[in-house]
Amino acid sequence: MRSLKPLAVIALVLALPSAATAYPEFQKYSQERSGRGVNCAMCHAHADGPDGVKAGQVGSLDAEGIARLNAARIAFEPGQKVDSPILNRFGDAIIEGVGKNAVLSMRATPAGLGDAMRLSDLDGDGISDGDEYDEGTHPLDPNHGDPWKLFVVNLSRHRLDLLLLALATALGLYGLGHILTWFGHAAEAALGRGKSPKE
Amino acid sequence: MNESTRFARSIRFLADRFPMEKLNFQSMVAKKDVPVHRMSWAYYLGGLVLFFFGIQLMTGIALLFYYQPSVSDAHASVEYLTRNVAGGALIRNIHAWSSSGMIFTLLIHLLTTFAMKAFARPRELTWVSGVLLLMLTFAFGFTGYLLPWHQIAVNATKVGLQSIEQLGEFLPGALSEIPTKIRVAIQGEAAVGQATLSRFFAAHVVLLPLATFAVLGLHLFQVQIHGMSPGVDKPTTRSERFFPFFVLKDFRVWGVVMFVLATIALCIPFEAFFDYPLFEPYDALGSTPDGIKPEWYFLFLYYPLELLPFWLVNLIVMLAVGVLLMAPVIFRGTSRRVLSTIAILVAAYLVVSTVFGQEIYEMIKGGH
Repeated sequence: MRSLKPLAVIALVLALPSAATAYPEFQKYSQERSGRGVNCAMCHAHADGPDGVKAGQVGSLDAEGIARLNAARIAFEPGQKVDSPILNRFGDAIIEGVGKNAVLSMRATPAGLGDAMRLSDLDGDGISDGDEYDEGTHPLDPNHGDPWKLFVVNLSRHRLDLLLLALATALGLYGLGHILTWFGHAAEAALGRGKSPKE
Repeated sequence: MNESTRFARSIRFLADRFPMEKLNFQSMVAKKDVPVHRMSWAYYLGGLVLFFFGIQLMTGIALLFYYQPSVSDAHASVEYLTRNVAGGALIRNIHAWSSSGMIFTLLIHLLTTFAMKAFARPRELTWVSGVLLLMLTFAFGFTGYLLPWHQIAVNATKVGLQSIEQLGEFLPGALSEIPTKIRVAIQGEAAVGQATLSRFFAAHVVLLPLATFAVLGLHLFQVQIHGMSPGVDKPTTRSERFFPFFVLKDFRVWGVVMFVLATIALCIPFEAFFDYPLFEPYDALGSTPDGIKPEWYFLFLYYPLELLPFWLVNLIVMLAVGVLLMAPVIFRGTSRRVLSTIAILVAAYLVVSTVFGQEIYEMIKGGH
């Protein structure tokens, strides 16, 4: 009897392909904590969530898509490869990282999802996915994040570029200054003023 | 006043504003001096606006290589440019940050020019052309905002165009139809769509730049031929040669600003300040996301429109534009002290409405 329980859960999950599968607790938490507008596109393929018939929603899936969806739905434990057609890379990474069971249990304590994703940075912007979830910014967009954190991270990444830019600017202005001053002197001489221009 | 007197006055007016005897290298460059006093820093602002305009032009041309002005491809082309083209995100960030820098500097330039009474005779045309350039710059901002075709772009444009139509409610008889016709002419079709995008694109990359070149040409010509205004009540005895010393300082300011602009554009994507749902492709069938607002430089107008009667705000705006254009006549006898006070009050309003507008709005309306 005990061994039949997981099978019963799987059967129930697979029998409901079009049931609501979004968990608004996470969106609500992220929005309230950050004060930023957040929608389903943080974890889902479509901004309106999984229910519907548009691309990236359950109603649009073909047989292959349904199979991928079902495989994702039974990834109860962490470490399983997930490629859900209704989730984006962040959504897949959550299921892969913590497992479906943990996601379901975190609905009561959505802050836990941020802690669970603290070591992941899918967009490589230097801000962890957990922090992006807490701050209501998009974890898959390297151009979106807390402005101050992005500034600090990018300043460190581009310090050589900026140093070279500062050097080029300084040298350019030095050279330009000499050219303009020479031209000013030459113009003075040509106009017969007889003395060098003084500031 | 008879015809010949009026004609003679017109000729004298033009002769004062376009003194052909000064149209030579000696007057416009070699012998041109710039006054040195406590407000001298304001002389660099006009050049700085010109610098930002040059940046806009160069980055705008670079963006044109990839941008597709169609409702089906516009958003995708901007995304492609940002994510896949080498340096694309940087160019786009410079374009966005520089547009803000241009408007910010232009507003300070306008206020300092006003406070220094630089519109006084014979510089009236410099002032009027400057006010026209301000309007053209706002038009650049409004038309450019739509081009990425994302949620905030289209919805903010809709709000802007609806405001034009609303004007009709306050006009009598046949006049009430005119704002609707203007809106349809700008929009190009019943709703904001492909025709609107095409028109905004054409305006942003062709019409407005051409108009700007023309007005800017007149503005720079006037600045160069009349020189810098004294700017202060007590005539200063100190001055510096325009060329090469002032020009060189101008370039130094540009160099420093270029470095700061590049640093900001490299380190802070301008989109980071907004909610990401606002940058999703526009969906005509979807709901309007929260937080649709115009760019920061329209907030001084946006919050009054939200809080005060529409007709009142429009009346104030029309009066303000009229006063700006007629400033050389209206404030002919006004002292620089009074002008400075007016400029400070206007600056205070712009800062408060832009920075604290949302808080004030919530305080008056209650809640979010």
